[in-house]
Order: sequence, then C-alpha cells, then structure tokens
Amino acid sequence: MLVKKGMLIVMYWRYCVKRILYGIMIYVILIFIFSTLFNAKMEETASAQIEEEIHAEVMNLNRMKPEELIHYIAQRRKYKEHIYHLDKPIQERILWRAFDTLTFNFGKSTIIKSSAGERDVWTIVAECVPRTILLFSVAIAIDVILGLLLGLKKAQKAGGMMDKGTSVATMVVYGMPSWWLGMLMIMFFSYTVRIFPSGGLHSAPPPTGIAYYADILHHMGLPVLTLVIIGFWGRAYLTRNIVLSTLQEDYIMSARARGIPERKVLYGHTMRTAAPPIVTMALLALLASVGGNIVFEGIFSWPGMGNLYWIALEQNDVPVLIGNLSVTTALYIGGLVTLDLIYGWLDPRIKVGGRR
Amino acid sequence: MRWGDIKASFRDFWNEFKRVKFGIVGLILLFAFIIILLVEPYITPFPDASSRWRDITYWQDNPNSVPPIWINWFSSKKRAPSTTLKGHDFSEKQVGKMKIIETIFTYNYAYDLPPVDIIFHGKIKGSSTIMLSLERPDGSKVDLVRKSISTGDRGNVRVSIDKNSKIKAYNFGSRYDTPENRARLTRDIAEPTKILFAKAKKGILINPEPLKGAYKIKATIILPNENSAIDNLHLSISGRVSGLLGTDNSKRDIWSGVIAGMKWAFLIGLLTAVVSVSVGVVYGVMSAYLGGWKDSLMQRIFEIFVSVPLLPVLIVMSAVFKPNIWILIGMMSCFFWVGPVKTVRSMGLQIKEETYIEASRAVGASSGRIIFKHMVPLLIPYAFASMALYVPNAIVYEATISLLGLGDATIVTWGQILHDALTGGAVINGLWWWVIPPGIAIALMGMTFAFIGFAMDTILHPKLRTR
Repeated sequence: MLVKKGMLIVMYWRYCVKRILYGIMIYVILIFIFSTLFNAKMEETASAQIEEEIHAEVMNLNRMKPEELIHYIAQRRKYKEHIYHLDKPIQERILWRAFDTLTFNFGKSTIIKSSAGERDVWTIVAECVPRTILLFSVAIAIDVILGLLLGLKKAQKAGGMMDKGTSVATMVVYGMPSWWLGMLMIMFFSYTVRIFPSGGLHSAPPPTGIAYYADILHHMGLPVLTLVIIGFWGRAYLTRNIVLSTLQEDYIMSARARGIPERKVLYGHTMRTAAPPIVTMALLALLASVGGNIVFEGIFSWPGMGNLYWIALEQNDVPVLIGNLSVTTALYIGGLVTLDLIYGWLDPRIKVGGRR
Repeated sequence: MRWGDIKASFRDFWNEFKRVKFGIVGLILLFAFIIILLVEPYITPFPDASSRWRDITYWQDNPNSVPPIWINWFSSKKRAPSTTLKGHDFSEKQVGKMKIIETIFTYNYAYDLPPVDIIFHGKIKGSSTIMLSLERPDGSKVDLVRKSISTGDRGNVRVSIDKNSKIKAYNFGSRYDTPENRARLTRDIAEPTKILFAKAKKGILINPEPLKGAYKIKATIILPNENSAIDNLHLSISGRVSGLLGTDNSKRDIWSGVIAGMKWAFLIGLLTAVVSVSVGVVYGVMSAYLGGWKDSLMQRIFEIFVSVPLLPVLIVMSAVFKPNIWILIGMMSCFFWVGPVKTVRSMGLQIKEETYIEASRAVGASSGRIIFKHMVPLLIPYAFASMALYVPNAIVYEATISLLGLGDATIVTWGQILHDALTGGAVINGLWWWVIPPGIAIALMGMTFAFIGFAMDTILHPKLRTR
C-alpha cells in the first residue's frame, strides 16, 4: 500500500470538510437566486402584513385626533418598513432577504398556524420535517430491501422469465405518477375495502401509549405501500445491472473456478463490490422522492412538508411557501453532501484522489 | 459524418432494435397515439373540448357525474344513455298572423333507470311560446311545459324538463299514489323524469318501476308574427350513463378531455425532452472538450443546478409567476438539461482523445467545428435514448404542477382533469371513471416512451463501453 491508513483517514476528513463547505456555498448561492426571483412577491406580502399590523394597532387607540392619527400611522409605517428593510434600495433589500432566509428567519405566515397556534414560518415548517423524513425513509427502506432481493434474483438468472417480466414492470410504472396510484389506493383500500384510513397522521382523537404508535403505523401503511409498489421495480432493475456488471469481473470468475459455492460468490464477493453503488442508489432514491414525489403527501393528508406545499398554495400563504422551499433545498443539499461522504467512505479511491 | 454514414448506422441500429420485443411494443403504442392524435376531431363527440373545456354552456346538456355507457354491460339495471333526438311529422299552420309549428320526437325507452333530463333545443328568432307534452306508452298524456320566450336575433332556446316540469310531473304522479307516499316525497325534491318514465300505479313517487316503450314528446311552437322564425329543433336526452368515459361534476365529457389532453402531453413531453437533452449534450461535450478552467467553471454551474430540488422549485415558481404552458416548458427545460451532462462529459472526454480529433485540431479546425461536427454526432444515439426517457418525466412533472392547481387554465391537460377530480371529491365518492382514465393515459404514454428508451439503452450500452 502506498498510503498508510492514518494518512487515508486524514485525507478523508479533509475531503469531508471540503465537501461540506462546498455544499454550504451552493446553498448560499441558491438562496440568493431564490431571493432575487421571489423578492417582489415577498415584499408584496410584507407590505400587506405591515398594513394589517398598523390597522390592528389603530383599532386599539381611541382617544386621538384625526390629524394626530394620520401622523401616527405614517410614523408607524415608516418604522415598520425600516424594520423589514423596505425603505432600502432593491439590491440591499434582496441581500437582507437572503440573509434572513439563511438565518432561518422566514418571518410570519399570513394564515397558516403551527399545531401550537404560532405563526412563525420556521416553527410551522420544522414540525413537518420529521414526518416527511419518517414516511419517506420507511418507504425507501422497505423499497430497497425488496428491490435488493428481487434484483439479486434477477441477476442470478439474467434473461430468464422472471428477469424479463420484472424489467417490463419497471418500464410500466416508469411514467406512472405516484400520487395517481395513491388516489386509486385510497379509493380501493379506504372506501371499497375499508382496511386503511384515507389519510392523516393519526386518528382523532389520537390514542395514548403503545396504541398511538400502532395507529401511526396504520396510517402510514397505505402511503408506504403505494411508494413501494411504484419504486421497488426500479430499485430491482438497478441492483440487477450493478450486480450483473460485477459478476462479469475476473475475480468472480476465479472465485467460481476455485469452487466457492455460488451463494458465497454472490453474497460475499459480489455484494462487497456492489455495496457502494447500491447504498448510493438507496440514498439517491430518498433524495429523488424529496425532489419529485413530495406532493404525494397531500393525497394522503400526511402532514409533512409536501402537504404543507398544498396548504400554502390553497391559502396563498407566500411566506410559508418560500420558507418551505428553503428548508427543502437545505435538506436536499444536505442529502447530496451526505451521499458523497458515505460514498467516499465506502470507496477508498475517492478518499485519495479527491472528487474526480 | 456524411449522409450515407448516417443512413448506414441508422440501418444497423434498426436491425438491432427490431430484436428488442418491448421496443417494438413501444413503437406500436407510439404509432397508436399518433393515429389518435391525427383523427382526434372524428373520435370525440365534443370536438371543441380543447378550446371550450371551461365553458359551462358548451357542456350544459350533459348529465352530471354519470358513469360511462359500457357499465350497462356489467350491471343488471340498464341505465338510459345520452342521445339526441330529431323531430318528425313536422307541420306548420298559419292562423292569422300567428304561425303554429308542431313536431313530434319519439323516444324508445328500454331501460331500467330513466334519463336525468330532457332538454328541448331550437334556434328561434323573435318571441315565441313553446309547449311540450308527453304521450306515454300507456296512453296517458302529460303537459310538461308552457313557456313564453323572447330572444333576440337567432337566440338559442333551451328548455329543460327537469327545471320546468317539476310541478306538472309531480301532480301527474300523485294522481296514482297514496297520500302517505305523497307526504314522503315533497314537490321540491321530486325528479320529473323518474315519475314520467314510471308505471302509473301505487308507489310511482317513492319506488318507481320503469315503463318501457315508445314515448312521444310533442313540441308546439307558436310564433306570433312573421318576423319570427325557427330552425334546428332537437331534443337532448341527458342519460344516466354518458360517453365512453362518463362525465365529471361540471358535466364535461371525460373521453373528450382525455383525448384533447393527449396533444398537450405530447407537446410538453417532446419539447421539454428535446430542448433539455440537446442543451445538456452540447454543454457536456463543450465542458469535456474545452477543459481547464472553462471545464471547472461549467462543472460548478452544473453542480448548482443539480442541487436544486426540482419539483418544489417548480411549484413555487409556478405559484409566484403563474406561467402559461410555454413558460412552464421553458422552466422545466431550465432544470432538466443537467440530466445527461455527467454521462456526456465522460463520453466526451474519451472521444476527445481519439486521433481524428487531434488530426482535425492539427489541421486547424475551430473548437465549434470539432464539437458540433465531430463530437456531438457520435452522441446522437445516446441523446435519443435519453430524450425518450425524459418525455415521461416531463409529462409527470407538468401533471403534478397541474394537480396542485397551477396549470395553464387555457388548455386541458391530464393533470388538470385529475386536479378537478381531486377537488371535486371523485376519490371520496368513488367516481372511478374520472380518476382512472387520465392517470392511465399518463402511465400509458410514459410506458410507451420508457419502452422505446430502455430498448435503445440496451442496444447502446455495450457499445458505449467499448467506444
């Protein structure tokens, strides 16, 4: 070995720090772009909120002469505009908006309230995050396990009936929207055969103790089932391709020639090499769900971030919409960075050689 | 590459493609879609569906939320379908200044569930009085409507039995039924057609039994002076079943909507795929060929675009900017081009090392010439394969944006039909004919392009590795 183990670890850490800083930089750039794009709309909302606040203040004052009142309103408006940086030139306003977003200071929602009744956008979004992560990670975990098993079976008998049949199934669901399958699943499993509830996080009122978790699992059943039905074919197809290309390597042939049982070749030798791409695939699937599937939650009224997009659109709540987007972007970039770190850890070539 | 080379390589490609079964299935499906696209005006009962999808007057004669016609094959109770009747025995009498026109519509009723409504239509100029009466197969006669109408020049007259004959139908029914039943069904909730098409006996109001046979509807139109004129008389029957795929809760024919949505799906899918893959391929090749700091810069820009969570950004952009379909396609292309870049760049790096590239550089060819003349053509097969696989993605993304109610309101897409279905309670009320067909259409078109794309991919893959 050319490089000592300790050296390798140091290089890996250096790579980690570099990758994380790079991720943060991309996030900052994206937030600047969003702030520029959505600034006009955000300011419109902010002005409306200022007017609303001043109106509420004026309602509470009663002993005031008309001219004093006008003066007072003008003063308050000026003060509040100063607080929201609305009296600054446009470049400065965009900078302030980006700065506020980067410090997770998304302002107040116009209508939507958190479960505790607060109107702080960050609180509203933050309570949705774990629910989204719960739903999608459970679904992807089941998805990947099933896909891995099926993919290995496919690779073992590549070109066989089962391999071909499941490959066709992959293509059949390729352009099928998950939310549409969700609609069908609800129609069938919630209204025709009443096995699953039609949506929500738990029953109202929620049961206590262990029954609470069972209830959440019951509510999660249908969305998870839908995601797995849509997703695991593709996972199996990818696993098959990865395993199949590994099976063609020379060392597999030599292992077989040495008389090592096929099971051991497959699970021992092949899987060790195929593991990094498969782990990547699982994480990529999770990220792709966030990037492309998130509104699926709305069909099941699963109160996560995807559902929050629906509500924010229905209520026309711009601050929540954009706050939610910022958090989604942060999570997405965080996921991409994690992906690279895990991949680098599993595949030593990346540790040494840098990213490319 | 010369034209002959392209032809030869295309023939080779086709010979290999023929051997992939699902690829052929995909091609057949694609042709089927294209044929439907071409004959669209002839296979939809509502040819203006695309332009007048949100015009309620265009759909007003249809029944509301009824299943497709063919469910009659599977159910024991036959439901009356929607049709249009033309009049016969047309007669015209002149009485002084007045003109009296009479015509008879015969409706052969052979179903178990009566139509929802019967609507009289005509184009009438000036004022007129319209009288409609019904002669039932059992011989009894019911006066349905007597209405004076004054329209301007060639106004469309529309008289609905359901709206105008409630009281008369109710009175007809109550002659045969018991006082208790009369008390149970009040006049306001009575459905005229249910009574008019039932056997005249006890229970006609509460539990009507169908009376099958020929029903004659006589229309008498009195025109008070010579300035009045009338033509185009017909009777619309709003059935309990309607069209190939039923109707939605705004009385729209779903079959027409699904067919009308197809051209938009094609447009969205193909345009987005072609634009974004072309940009991506050129970008990737340029990045590979130029190398050095230009490559680094282009890769940085690429990485920023890759880090964008696509759907959430598209949703927020659509909500803020309210784009029409063209801008939406542009927005999608803005983010989709990153897809092929990574693969193309690594392929480009290999091609760049080939001796003929070096040779042409030595001869003094410009970068643009080398990129577009010598490198990009080699990637065309790959580009086509990825285009085919991008079409379903673009369609699904547009459908998702539309599902959220952010679609272009001047057109009809499958996603918009599903949005209406979701907000119209189709899922909760089990209106499956409203939910299943648009989704099947999306999935089927996605499948078609996936078949073609995957087939090209399986052919190209070994080649790409050896190149």
